[in-house]
Amino acid sequence: MTAIILEALIKIALLIGGLMTAAAYFVLLERRIAAWIQDRRGPNRVGMPLTKLRLFGLGQPLADGVKFIFKEEYTPAHVNKVLFVAAPILILAAALAAFAVIPFGSMIPPDWFGRTEPIKLVVAPGVDVGMIYVFALSSIAVYGVILGGWASNNKYSFLGGLRSSAQLIAYEVPLGLGILAVVVAAGSLDLEAIIHAQTTQGWCFLLQPLGFLVFVVAAFAEAARLPFDLPECEQELVGGYHTEYSGIKLLLFLVAEFLHMITASFLIVILFMGGWHLPWGLTGDPAAESIGWVPAIVRIVALAVKIIAVIVFFMVVRWSWPRFRFDQLMALAWKVMLPLGVVNFVVMATVEQFGGSLSTGVKMAIGWGTFVLSWVAIAAAGPLIADNRARHDLHPSQIDSQV
Amino acid sequence: METYFLPILVFLVCATLLGIGLLAVGSVLGPKRTGRVKEMPYESGMDPIHDARRRFDFLFHLVAIAFLLFDVELLFLYPWAVARGGFAQAGLNGGLIFGEVMFFIALLLVGYAYAWRKGVFRWR
Repeated sequence: MTAIILEALIKIALLIGGLMTAAAYFVLLERRIAAWIQDRRGPNRVGMPLTKLRLFGLGQPLADGVKFIFKEEYTPAHVNKVLFVAAPILILAAALAAFAVIPFGSMIPPDWFGRTEPIKLVVAPGVDVGMIYVFALSSIAVYGVILGGWASNNKYSFLGGLRSSAQLIAYEVPLGLGILAVVVAAGSLDLEAIIHAQTTQGWCFLLQPLGFLVFVVAAFAEAARLPFDLPECEQELVGGYHTEYSGIKLLLFLVAEFLHMITASFLIVILFMGGWHLPWGLTGDPAAESIGWVPAIVRIVALAVKIIAVIVFFMVVRWSWPRFRFDQLMALAWKVMLPLGVVNFVVMATVEQFGGSLSTGVKMAIGWGTFVLSWVAIAAAGPLIADNRARHDLHPSQIDSQV
Repeated sequence: METYFLPILVFLVCATLLGIGLLAVGSVLGPKRTGRVKEMPYESGMDPIHDARRRFDFLFHLVAIAFLLFDVELLFLYPWAVARGGFAQAGLNGGLIFGEVMFFIALLLVGYAYAWRKGVFRWR
């Protein structure tokens, strides 16, 4: 009991430290990528304190953090005090705690303290409802947003909270549908077991491209990243649900938002891109109970590289795409992503149920065939739900009847 | 069995304490100033006219209800997805259960089509 708690505490300290640092430095990376895309320099001044070293702006996150801490911790008079303070704590705790079941590597060999079993690189190993737990915590994030928006007693916050809660719950459905087919293929909700299933069956984004598309779009929306950042669209709602927040409380919201993006990247990599697995036996024997140091480190590096690649993709998308309008956002969730998710689930479940003897190549062909066919069907069925452009040739009532 | 979930509990406590601790540090280190204008809700410099919590669009309720419907549907499907592998061993007819799952989805799609026709997803 004590040993378990101690081991968990060490892992939690490592994980929280790593995540907070990663969130801070991903902000810097994002600002540098934004600058690169917009042909600017970006933050490159702040380096080592008390010297003139600039170090490509690596001191910027530290300076930002210190500045946040020394800002006034202010609670306005017109708010609901308890909920106003509870919202940022709730959203940060939920965003962090989702990592309890997400593996950040495979395992490391038991060379120390006379242990006999390898140390699994996940805070709570062997939780067989892992995926449901992550889902539950991502739903709690909705509470943080809606409490923040409601408690602020501000019109911008209220509208932002309403909008973002509608967005988050609308995209939770395609998110679950995208995962469901993966769970059917892997036969488990344990994230480690899903990675193991992919080492033998092949990576899921090759086998289920439609599910991958649905899941990635839903993950962007759940993380409230552009093109789905309506919760805080600056031009309409100032700051959305955190208009009234400042200082550390604002920092908690912003960190939680970044953590959502990191969680989404972890889930995309683990569920669809094979987690720590690399082909051609580069990551050792996946079925082995214990592994040496070399494959253990290769697995951690492979996972980290994949996740950073997905995060950079998130950032490049943010600076390349305009924002959706709210009706487009809801139409995309309910009229495009939900049917696509159901089609993906039905096809993949049928393949798993009756196509046990099919080769991987045939399964891939079915997956990609479904992907192309449903894309064509969506494009042909309703130009107004798949197309963002204004239709000046139609009367408004005609548009209404089609939307 | 409980030991599986013990680390999760520890993590939840740690994460909550981190949030509370950061807030405490901020309130100790930050300055304290207030004023009549600072206490007002931020409305881009205009004086606020009335309370922010007013009536809002009924569609938000409908979306919440549709969400409940589909999310609970998903939760019913997860046990099937996990237990599928053991049906043959337990002597159950996997094909029949698969047919029932498909029937369940078909029923939901009827409700989905009804909601679509009723304009639940129409935001204009």
